[in-house]
Amino acid sequence: MRRNSFLILTFLAGTALFSVSEIGVSAQVPNAKKALKQLAKAQAEAKKAEDAKKAQADAKKAEEAKRTTAAKKKSDSDDELAPLKPALIGGKKDTTAVAKFIDDQIAAKLAAEKMTASPTCTDEEFLRRTYVDISGVIPTAEQAKAFLADKTPGKRAKLIDDLLASPNFGQHQADIWMGLLVQRTSDSRRVDFGSLRTWLAEEFNANKSWDVIATDIVTATGEQEKNPAVGFYLSNNTVDKMTDELCKSFLGVQLQCAQCHDHKFNDWKQTEYWAMAQFFMKVQVAGLGKDAKPTVDEKPVVRRNKMNALPESAKMVEPKFLQGPSPSIGLKDPARPTLAKWMTGPTNPFFARAMVNRVWGELFGRGIVNPVDDMVGQNLPSHPEMLTGLAADFAANAFDVKHLVRSVCNSSAYQRSSKSTAGNEKAGPQLYATMAVKVLSPEQLFDSLAVVTKFDAKAGGPAARDKMVKGFAPAARDRFVNFFLAGAEMVSLTEYEAGIPQALKLMNSRQTAGGNPQAVRAVVGSSRGAEAIEKIYLATLSRFPTDAEKARLGEYVSKASLSQDGLADVLWAVLNSSEFTLNR
Amino acid sequence: MFSSFLQERTRREVLQLSAAGVFTAGMSGWMRVLADKVATTPATKGKHKSCILLWMDGGPSHKDTFDLKPDSKGAGEFKPIKTSADGIQISEHLPKVAEVMKHGVLVRGMSTPEGAHGRAKYYAHTGFREGQGGVTYPSLGAIVSQQLGKPEATVPNYVAIAGRSFGSGFLGPKHQPLMVQAPDKGLEDLKALVSNTQFDKRVDLLKQMEEAFHREYKVDPVNDHKTTYDRAVTLMQSKEAKAFDITQEAAATRAKYGSGKFADGVVMARRLVEVGVPFVEVALGGWDTHLDNFTRVKSLSQQVDAALSSLILDLKDRGLLDSTLVVWMGEFGRTPNINTRGAKPGRDHFPRAWNLAMFGGGLKGGQVVGKTDKEGAEVVERKTTAQDFLATVCDLLGIDHTKENITPNGRPIKLVDKPNPFTKLVV
Repeated sequence: MRRNSFLILTFLAGTALFSVSEIGVSAQVPNAKKALKQLAKAQAEAKKAEDAKKAQADAKKAEEAKRTTAAKKKSDSDDELAPLKPALIGGKKDTTAVAKFIDDQIAAKLAAEKMTASPTCTDEEFLRRTYVDISGVIPTAEQAKAFLADKTPGKRAKLIDDLLASPNFGQHQADIWMGLLVQRTSDSRRVDFGSLRTWLAEEFNANKSWDVIATDIVTATGEQEKNPAVGFYLSNNTVDKMTDELCKSFLGVQLQCAQCHDHKFNDWKQTEYWAMAQFFMKVQVAGLGKDAKPTVDEKPVVRRNKMNALPESAKMVEPKFLQGPSPSIGLKDPARPTLAKWMTGPTNPFFARAMVNRVWGELFGRGIVNPVDDMVGQNLPSHPEMLTGLAADFAANAFDVKHLVRSVCNSSAYQRSSKSTAGNEKAGPQLYATMAVKVLSPEQLFDSLAVVTKFDAKAGGPAARDKMVKGFAPAARDRFVNFFLAGAEMVSLTEYEAGIPQALKLMNSRQTAGGNPQAVRAVVGSSRGAEAIEKIYLATLSRFPTDAEKARLGEYVSKASLSQDGLADVLWAVLNSSEFTLNR
Repeated sequence: MFSSFLQERTRREVLQLSAAGVFTAGMSGWMRVLADKVATTPATKGKHKSCILLWMDGGPSHKDTFDLKPDSKGAGEFKPIKTSADGIQISEHLPKVAEVMKHGVLVRGMSTPEGAHGRAKYYAHTGFREGQGGVTYPSLGAIVSQQLGKPEATVPNYVAIAGRSFGSGFLGPKHQPLMVQAPDKGLEDLKALVSNTQFDKRVDLLKQMEEAFHREYKVDPVNDHKTTYDRAVTLMQSKEAKAFDITQEAAATRAKYGSGKFADGVVMARRLVEVGVPFVEVALGGWDTHLDNFTRVKSLSQQVDAALSSLILDLKDRGLLDSTLVVWMGEFGRTPNINTRGAKPGRDHFPRAWNLAMFGGGLKGGQVVGKTDKEGAEVVERKTTAQDFLATVCDLLGIDHTKENITPNGRPIKLVDKPNPFTKLVV
């Protein structure tokens, strides 16, 4: 199927390009602060000029790709992704049309498997889910109450818009991308990456186009003080790490195994790896030591000292784009701009798909291709046409991340209950018959605990989250996150992985346990009895307690010698419950 | 396809086993990936083995500890003394260790490629170069936890005391070390913030909430959450938890080990091994002696002398020495020559030739493996890499180091890559 459509797509790619980039440019000025607006405008103009060139280059490239493919056809080319053909679904940024497209695609597969979908989720489920997924933190009791009381039709779509507009959206994306872009190694242990986090949050909040953000990261040069985006290279400070992380984060492919040998399960050859790695050969990282200025440069000749050493497996080959042509780059010219241009080109087979798949994965707990960063080879997408369609729409809408999130969240698939219904208990997760139950990430858990208990000053200030919005990541949050990550490479979205030490901390740590009088005061104020229990439930689980819960807990509290103690017990139990730590 | 097939299949198998009550611990995503390995791990033959790693952070000078070269150019100030093992001499500042040397093996031919602290520690703990192939590798403790640890154990299978150790890498959070920062204060957050009676009430409340939630959402994370909390509460209330409380140790016993974080940590390590923890790491920092090498190494050696010798003797008294491997090592050695840059003589990083010591664990004691030249600058016999050493440790603990783990993205990684263990020489 994919192979059949390949030639047609290649043929169309060149002509489709130009109009698409026009749309991209006009769509690019975001509703943001003035400064950001100007910046975006400048970049948009620069991009316009670039796009014109790109179109030419891409047309040539498409030609070449066609030839390469023809040549490759003899060998099995199942692993090759077709170039993307950007195409709007419905009109420009047509949320409704995209949501419907998703639902049609998913319904078709459910029907084929004769599987029923679970009903639409309740407002309570929807509320907590969207808050956690979009803004990275649960709602306050007041926010929860207000939404649940609201009888206006279309309030769900409005909440999605509100959350996308809140600064927490960028913070949450920054958390996700910091996890991908920054690896703590012994080399970079002295570097402060806080500025990269702040920058990412601002970019996402300003809804900077994803191709612009990615280009800024991939081509980042200069002192960290002046350009926070160089943080990517400061953390991935050798050619192999740059190659690995670029491929994983921006292209959604795991190339790293091919560093030392041909890949066993995929088609990656060692030469393909080192052909991609060539684009980083001129990058020189400096100033990772104590009292030094971290800097990234691209130079014709790199001093191969300890810091910029090449791995033993390094091979010197012609630079070549992954499954693409070999560009010609002057000996003295920087190579990364050429790479970025190829990567973010609207027809790039990986770039838009990778981001769509990653965003989908964050929202649904699994990618359309799963794992999300292993998109090529025999790891097939559950809904190939949906992935390609969403990627095409994403590219045609100038890689508008908020549009993508908004569209997915407005789909019925996203707004499905996470409870199984009669007949679909055994549906595989790739059918999306029910919403996945996800586990709060360490960042989401910390921020949610902070919202409830208003941590004391020592633990990061009374309003840890507010400060973080201003670009301040309190040390307490980092410590907490590291403790929960416990050095792991990545967190699973759908598996509960915390161990005994983490459970002990949540139950018994003065900072986070929350079963103390201050936390109770912060949650219930002067309320007592049923009213207090209701406040606890709204503040933590974003729902009203059921009648049974009200009765049982009311009795429990009334039996306690001090009602404060009884309420503290309830708050403690709720904060340690799986319902709190899960996103259903 | 292959990798995802493996994951889906083992997940189902694990769930079946779980339903059958074979596993009482929750199965995380990591365990799902590794499930087939775990499930086929045979019970350790004979006695349950443990390992205590005494980590000498900063890189101890080999020429001033276990490989003295009195006739060399940079001989230094220390004199060698005889030990209870025939023909083996060690530093005069390790007199009590000298007495137990007959239970130990010295490895004097260590030679490794990493000369910066961070990378060298990583390499020594994992047997892989940091960043190699884009994988975060598990440290020895995590491997032991995975291979020998009981998933349902009350105390976690890997405890790290008084320092930061390397974690479990791609083996995931279940094999992360439980960290104890201040051993004299016990394990952080082990005690409830409220009275035991009130804590019990809280746990009861929590259980009721969990049951109600689970009735509606029959999903794995709810089960896994429950399992983890069950284990944590069990630990809090267990007698094994007392192993973390070294104040229960007789004052005289504690005094034998010396005083300070390291001494306390070694006492705790022994108590943990006694309750069945398979891997404990205790760190002693300060070995990065670029300046004032001799004063500092002397004082550090005295700390090691008291704690290490007492540990060996106590383990022996308790009949645990044969089943407990004690390793003393750092990330590299120090230059054979003495630098005189500062006011007081120092030694710099030296990974090309260095030493480590091992005791108990079924070793045939009183031996030396490997040899350096007259200056202590080159290994002239039995050059030993980190992989050789780690594979030997695996052999001694009854772990098959040729086994492969599968990373979350489906890549097979050997427990130890291409080693040449020296096990046959020491058992």
